[in-house]
Amino acid sequence: MTGIDGCLSEAMAIPGARGVSLVDWTSGLTLGAVGDGPEGGHETSAAEVAELARLAFESGAFTRGTPGAGPVEDLIVTARGSYHLIRFVETAFDSSVFLHLWLDRAEANLAVALFRLKELTARLVLA
Amino acid sequence: MSPAVEDPTLDRLAAERATGALHGRGGALYLADGAVVHAESPAVPDVGWRLTAGGRLSPESWEEAVTRGGADHRAGSFLVERGRLSRGELELCHLSALFDAAYFVLSPLDGSRRAPDRFFREARHWFGPVRPVPVALLQREMRRRRSLLERAWPCPEVDAAPVVPVPGAVPREPGAAGPTCGRRAVLEAADGVRTPSQIALALGRCAFATLLDVRRLAAAGLVRTPEAGAPASRAPLRGPRADAPEISLLYRIRDALEAL
Repeated sequence: MTGIDGCLSEAMAIPGARGVSLVDWTSGLTLGAVGDGPEGGHETSAAEVAELARLAFESGAFTRGTPGAGPVEDLIVTARGSYHLIRFVETAFDSSVFLHLWLDRAEANLAVALFRLKELTARLVLA
Repeated sequence: MSPAVEDPTLDRLAAERATGALHGRGGALYLADGAVVHAESPAVPDVGWRLTAGGRLSPESWEEAVTRGGADHRAGSFLVERGRLSRGELELCHLSALFDAAYFVLSPLDGSRRAPDRFFREARHWFGPVRPVPVALLQREMRRRRSLLERAWPCPEVDAAPVVPVPGAVPREPGAAGPTCGRRAVLEAADGVRTPSQIALALGRCAFATLLDVRRLAAAGLVRTPEAGAPASRAPLRGPRADAPEISLLYRIRDALEAL
């Protein structure tokens, strides 16, 4: 893997992948993207997805019941025609980014995609 | 609106595919072939502080990269080549610091509304390019950030004033839904003296995110909003490593001289 671009192209190799982007959820800034965006361009959807990701990450609702177990890791949105996986990237310095993988529901395997995305985001920040 | 600087100079430099450093009251933007490759501002923690504040790098590893890699204008790549950081970490940390500093270069906290206007042609930064950002993308992001602040709480006075928590406003009972994550850290670092920038420096955290948190805390009634028109804090912005030998300053002087 060679940085953000390598990570994005590896994510596109996940079966069923239609598009993937790396987004900063503080503002909805797209740091990199490959493939199609759910609304044409990647930047259009990034702001809305970032807002959802921020609410989930900052809300205590999902983590308050298991204190000390760490923050939210993934969001999974299923729609009739697609899966959207949002994986937060954990870094040893201050950051607020996630990978957003858009999958064709007919071609993708949700469990496989989740596993691969988890492994990819870990490797992105592994020295 | 908060002081917004729409900058024709930057558009012109991008069109010319210029290389050099554009200095203003809030810091400097570095361009290479018309794209933004670095930004620095005393209002935000720099890459070195971000990486050492949370213990990702030892101060010695950072100093080694500045001294040995910086001499060839490539301190960032040096860190990856020596296995100190992954390429991904370097890119994420540097991009975050770049957009963060650029915001304060283009929207100075002194409210002067003065766009950066001194361009030193051919000046290069000792950190070296990592992932160049097109000027148009940077400008779109700056507009988005200004509108986020405005939507959170339309009171730019809180941006440069000391952050004063409202006593008793945060619920104390265990399990209560109070401010989370970043906002709680910001509240805990708010001692009534530090400004949002100084809190960001103390936490090694993105200064724009801290500003946004302070606006949201103000909207929620958890920090006081200063009177409109009240004088901003005159406390000097001191980086956490202000006492360390400033080799980066020497590089800046050298780069400026080379650019003459």
